Amino acid sequence: MTGNINGSLNLIGYGLSAIGGAIGVGLVFAAYINGVARQPEAQRVLQPLAFLGLALTEALAILGLVFAFVLK
Amino acid sequence: MIALTLPAQDGGSFTPPSVTSHLAPFFTIGGFEFTKQMALVLLSVVIIAWFFIAAARKGQLVPGRLQFAGEMAYGFVRNSVGKDVIGAKDFKKYVPLLFSLFFFILLNNLYGTIPWIQLPSFSHVTGAYFLALLVYVIWIGVGVKENGLRYFKLAVVPSGVPWYILPLVVPIEIISNFVVRPMTHSLRLFATMLAGHLIVLIAGSGIEFLIAQESWLLKGTSILVLAGATAMYMLEALIMVLQAYVFVLLTAIYIEGAVHADSH
Amino acid sequence: MNNLMVLASANAAEAAPSPLSVNWSELLVVAVGFAILMFIVIKYVVPMFEKTYADRTEAIEGGIARAEKAQAEASAALDEYKQQLVDARTEANRIREEARAEGAQILADLKERAASESARITEQAQTAIAAERQAAVVSLRAEVGSLATTLAGRIVGESLDDDARAARVVDRFLADLEKQSEGARK
Repeated sequence: MTGNINGSLNLIGYGLSAIGGAIGVGLVFAAYINGVARQPEAQRVLQPLAFLGLALTEALAILGLVFAFVLK
Repeated sequence: MIALTLPAQDGGSFTPPSVTSHLAPFFTIGGFEFTKQMALVLLSVVIIAWFFIAAARKGQLVPGRLQFAGEMAYGFVRNSVGKDVIGAKDFKKYVPLLFSLFFFILLNNLYGTIPWIQLPSFSHVTGAYFLALLVYVIWIGVGVKENGLRYFKLAVVPSGVPWYILPLVVPIEIISNFVVRPMTHSLRLFATMLAGHLIVLIAGSGIEFLIAQESWLLKGTSILVLAGATAMYMLEALIMVLQAYVFVLLTAIYIEGAVHADSH
Repeated sequence: MNNLMVLASANAAEAAPSPLSVNWSELLVVAVGFAILMFIVIKYVVPMFEKTYADRTEAIEGGIARAEKAQAEASAALDEYKQQLVDARTEANRIREEARAEGAQILADLKERAASESARITEQAQTAIAAERQAAVVSLRAEVGSLATTLAGRIVGESLDDDARAARVVDRFLADLEKQSEGARK
């Protein structure tokens, strides 16, 4: 059984760039959960911060996606 | 772009659906192509309007079942997104925007979980662009209205940073606040919806392809694909709701940042 | 299968717009749809829900206000009742005090009246006694005088009919007698 896989190398790049974003998002939410677990009443303050952090971190992965589509 | 070909015993090969394959438009008037997405968007407007007007119309003090559901949905956006994030003082103005955005996106995403419809409207990027642009214009407008033109200085010059770091920080702030923010806001929604949609489609066509194989071994593996696809489908359903929530929450956070630019 | 693949690749080769490019007709539809939705939400949905919320808050707060009012009324009534009770008690005390004072007054009056009555009676009795004594003295004096004169006359054998002389003797005698009795009383 032989085969070949062809496609765009961009997607490999995108996969690599997503690693960073994934780790970042994981760290953001780990910190958020830690904070809420230690101080449940701070949840209302932490939640916007956590999602803002998510947005900033995920931006990198999304930029990667854009470049994967845009670059030929 | 995604051109994955698997050779099979009978010589046929598997071509998965790709990001460039679209359904044909329902009809075309001049340059205007009326596609399934557009029908679904309009349908979602009708459904949301109908449901909430029906739920809110009676306005009884002791709500019935429908009204209770409507109030819970409305109260969720109003209180746990609007009030908690923007603050009890000035959140009322933005409730209609947050409410419309949340349910518009939620319903359009949930189309992806409904069999035979199975198409989240925002798997086309245009709708996501539009909503993010709308939010972008609104939060900048709010910032300028609340703080005057000083808002731009407040938004890009963080307080408490020594002057010699400012040349580094200010460009980063400008790019992250005014360029990357709306872009990621829209593309996050689009990318998750597209990925969810594609993965279900790829799994679906993969199952179809595998069952059509002559070898019983390959036929059998379709069950594995089905199990994986079901799990992904559940995950996607969760992500669809979560993305609607994230979109609206980020909208609220951006608006809050614009309203209280002084204290950031 | 081959046909399908050819078709797909032909499609991809033909136009293949980037997935990130804007589809203007779709933009139009989404914009119009969202604008309609926003309009309906701003015009109908949110005001209706907010009105229900406000009504509900009002109903709950109104209920609390009513309960507070009833509570206030009840406590006011209780206060009034207590006040009345206190008033009644002071009134009773006052009446009792008055009655006691009046009784003492009456008693004092009676005592005084009795005392004055007894004084009057005593005085009357004394006056009467004095008068009778006076009368007795007068008659006694007259009788004793004549009797003594007669007796003395008989004894001395000398007529003492000379009234002037007799009277002088008698008077002297009585004066001596009185002097004696006064000296004895002292």
